[in-house]
Amino acid sequence: MEEQVGILWHRWINKLAARRFPQMAVELTDVARSAALLYRALGGDPGATLQAGAQTLHGARRSMLQRLAGSERKAGLAWADSEALRLPSRIDVYPEQRLNRDAYFWLAALCACDRAPDLPWAARNQTATAAVIRNYPGLRARYFRLVDAEIARRPEPHKLPAAEALQEQAIRAALQYPGSVTSWPAAGRSPYPVMLWLRPDAPAPIGIAAGKTQPFATAANVAQPDKKRCSAEQAELPERQGGMLLFRPETIFSWSEYAKVEHSIDDNDDEDLAQAADDLDVISIARDGRQVAKKLRMELDLPAAALDQTPLDGVRMLPEWDYRARLLRPAQCQITPIQPAQTIAGVLPARLKRDQQRLKRQFEALAPARIRLKSQPDGSDIDIDPYIRHLADGGEGRFFTDMRKRDRDLACLLLADLSLSTEAWIGPERSVIDVIRDSLVLFSEALSVTRDRFALYGFNSHERNDVRFYDLKSFDEPYDGKIRSRILSIKPAYYTRMGAAVRRAAEILERQRSRERLLLLLTDGKPNDTDHYEGRFGIEDTRKAISAARQQGLRPFCVTIDQEARDYLPHIFGKNNFIIIRKASELPAKLPLLYAMITH
Amino acid sequence: MSVTPLSRGTNQPNHIPFYTPIGNETDIFESAYRNRLPLLIKGPTGCGKTRFIEHMAAKLGRPLYTVSCHDDLSAADLVGRHLIGANGTYWADGPLTQAIRHGGICYLDEIVEARKDTTVVLHALSDDRRILPVDRTGEILEAPPEFMLVVSYNPGYQNFSKGLKPSTRQRFVSLAFDFPQTAREIDIVVTESGVERDTAKRLVTLVQALRSTAEHDLEAAPGTRLIVCAARLIASGHDARAACRVAVIECLSDEPETVTALMEVVDAIFGD
Repeated sequence: MEEQVGILWHRWINKLAARRFPQMAVELTDVARSAALLYRALGGDPGATLQAGAQTLHGARRSMLQRLAGSERKAGLAWADSEALRLPSRIDVYPEQRLNRDAYFWLAALCACDRAPDLPWAARNQTATAAVIRNYPGLRARYFRLVDAEIARRPEPHKLPAAEALQEQAIRAALQYPGSVTSWPAAGRSPYPVMLWLRPDAPAPIGIAAGKTQPFATAANVAQPDKKRCSAEQAELPERQGGMLLFRPETIFSWSEYAKVEHSIDDNDDEDLAQAADDLDVISIARDGRQVAKKLRMELDLPAAALDQTPLDGVRMLPEWDYRARLLRPAQCQITPIQPAQTIAGVLPARLKRDQQRLKRQFEALAPARIRLKSQPDGSDIDIDPYIRHLADGGEGRFFTDMRKRDRDLACLLLADLSLSTEAWIGPERSVIDVIRDSLVLFSEALSVTRDRFALYGFNSHERNDVRFYDLKSFDEPYDGKIRSRILSIKPAYYTRMGAAVRRAAEILERQRSRERLLLLLTDGKPNDTDHYEGRFGIEDTRKAISAARQQGLRPFCVTIDQEARDYLPHIFGKNNFIIIRKASELPAKLPLLYAMITH
Repeated sequence: MSVTPLSRGTNQPNHIPFYTPIGNETDIFESAYRNRLPLLIKGPTGCGKTRFIEHMAAKLGRPLYTVSCHDDLSAADLVGRHLIGANGTYWADGPLTQAIRHGGICYLDEIVEARKDTTVVLHALSDDRRILPVDRTGEILEAPPEFMLVVSYNPGYQNFSKGLKPSTRQRFVSLAFDFPQTAREIDIVVTESGVERDTAKRLVTLVQALRSTAEHDLEAAPGTRLIVCAARLIASGHDARAACRVAVIECLSDEPETVTALMEVVDAIFGD
C-alpha cells in the first residue's frame, strides 16, 4: 500500500513539476536521418554518427515543485564530440510539435557550425548561432520562433535573486541578439538550461582543436567507447529514466570483448582500456559501490575446436609475406579445411523473404538472356549492316542475325570473415555475424537466379598453424536448402589471418575456367591474429596475397563494414576495389546489388 | 543512330560560350592544340567539362564534333560506315573521320562508357603518327595540324570494366577538373540563369552543403549544372524551394527518406 501511494505521488508530482508537453513530443528516431544529414551538409564531421545523448545535470535553480518532486535535475542538451553528434532522445519542452521538431534541426545546425570551441560557453554559442543564421538564412525565422518559445519557458528574471536575474537577462539578450552579449555576469548557480545552446561543457568536435578534448567531468559522464559499433548499441539505450546507470552491463562486456579481439592492432589500446575503466569506475561507484571495472580484464570465451566442426582431408601449407625481410616465407600457415556439419535442408528466414523476392526480380535481368548475334552466315533474319557492307565491297556473305543464349562467363568466390569480432553488436538484436549470415543467404538467392557460378567460403584463424577455412558451398554444389542451413549455422571464432585465406581462396578460384573470376572478400575489420600477425604485418601480407591473386588473373574486391577501412583498404586492394558499407544492417540487401554493379 | 555530331553550330565564330577559367586550363588547352597533343579531361559530373571544350573550340575557331559515348558505341560509329542510297551503297564518315577531314576538334564525352574496341582506333591517332586507318574504305587519313582529339571521363566508378586502360590514358595530356570555388560558382549561376546574386549565393551554399554529404548519402556529388537548372526555374518565377526540389533534390536520390532529409537542407537555406 505504502509503495502504491508512493508511486502515485511520484507520478503526480513529477507531472505537475515538469514544464513539458508530452503530447507534442518529437522523438529523435523520427528525425534522426534528416538531422544527421543536415549536420553533415552544414559542415559537421561526416564520420560522426548520430546518437541520443545522456541527460546532463544542470545544477540550476529549480522551482519549489520540482525540488519537491526531486525531478528536473537534468536536461537533454546537445553536443558533438569525436564520436558522434549527440542530441536529446526526445524533445518535448515546447508547446508545439513543430517547435520541438525545429529544435532538433536547430541543434544539428548549431553543432555543425560550432567552430570556436575554446570560447566561453555563452560566447561560443552566440558565435555559432550567428554563423548559422548568417550562412543559412532559411533557419533564421525558425530560430527566432524557437527563441520566443524558449524565453516563454524560462524563469522570469524578476523572480530570481539579483545575481541570477542578471545572468538570466544576459541569456535572454544573447538568444535574441546573438553576438550582442560580450560580458557575462557571474552568479552562484548555473543558469536554467538553454535548450537552444550546446551543453555547457561540450567538448570540441573532431577536427577542431583536436587533442584538447577532455572527458567532461559531470556525474552524468558518458563512457566513450573507442569504436562505433559499441556506440551503436549505446544508441539503442538512451537513458530515459534519469538513473545513474548509463549503459547496461552487457554493453560493457561487448566492449571488453571487442577490445580484446582487436587488442593487438591498436597501439593506444591500453590507454583506451584504462580510459574506459576510468569511466566505468565513475559509473559503478556511483551506482552501488561495486567495482565493475575489474571485469574488463576477463578472458575471451573462445568456442572449443572439438565442439566446432570436424576437420576434413589433409594438411595444406601456405606461404606468408614478411614485409620486414621483404620475403615470401614458404609453408608458414596451415590451412584446416572445415566442412560445416551436414544438417537438414534449411528454409529461408521469414525476415529475408521480401528482400529475396525483390532481388530475384532484379537479378532476372542478369540471367543469361537470348541475344542477337550479328553477321552470322545463316540465321533467322537479315542483318542489314553487314548486308550493305557486302553490297559495297563484296566479301563473304555473313549477313544474317541469329538468336542465341549468351552465358555470362563468370565465376565468383565469396570469402567471408568469420572471426570473433563479427560477434560484435550493431543493433539491439543483431550482431555483425547475423548480418554476414543474412548477406550470404541473400547473395546466394540472387546469384542462383543468374546462373553465375559461385562458391562461398569463410575463414578465421588461431595463429598460423590453424587457419580454418570453412567450405560453405563449392563451385560444383548447387545452391539448395542444405547450403542455406550451412550458412545459417556458421559461428564466429578466433581471429582474421586474411592473407592465408585469400591465398587459399585464390587457389580454388584459379581452377575455374571462366573468363571473369571475381574474388569477393566480405569483412568487418583489419587482418589480425594473436601472434606476429598484426598491424602492418597483416596488412602487408594481405596486400601481397591480393596482388598475387590479381597476377593470376583474378579480380579481388572487398566489401567491408569497418568505418575506418579507408585508412588501410586502399593500400591492400587499390583505390577502386573496395567499398565501405556505412550501415552494416544494409549489407544483406546491398551486397547482391553491389555484385551486379561490379560484374555488369 | 545514337551518335550525335553536335555543335557544328560553332560555325558562328562570334558566339563564344561563357566559361570562367579556374586555373590555367585555357592556356594548357591552347598549348596542347598548338603542339598537336590529345587532351583528356577528368572530373565529376556537371563541373563544366563540356562547356569548357565548347568554349575553347569557339575561341580557337574550330568546328566541334561531340560524341556522347554509351556502352553500345562501336568503332564504326566513330569512323563511319556504308549506307544505302538511291544508287546502291555509299560511304558516310563518322564524327571522328569528319573532324579529321575538316580539321576540327573531336570531343568524346564519357569515353569509358564506349566499347573497348573504340579506344583502339584512337591509339594511332593519339600518338606521333596522328593517323586514322579506315579499314572499310582502305584509306589512311592523316590528321591535319588543326585537328585535336579531346576525351573526357568521370573517375570514381567502381565498375571493373569502366576504367581507362593505362595504354590509352598515357597518350593524353590530362586536366583534372573540380567544382569551381564559391565566388566563381556564384558568378556562373548568375550569368547562366539571370537570377539575383543573393539567390545565386544561396544556391551555391546549398550545393556545397550537399557536396559535403555526398560521400555519405548520395551516389555522386551534385554539379554546378543542377543549381543552374534550379536558378533558371527560379528566374522564370518558380518558388525557390519548389525549384530546388525538382531541379536538385529529386535528381540526387530516388529514396523518399533521403529526399525528405535533403529537403531539410534546402529549408535551412530557402525556408522561412
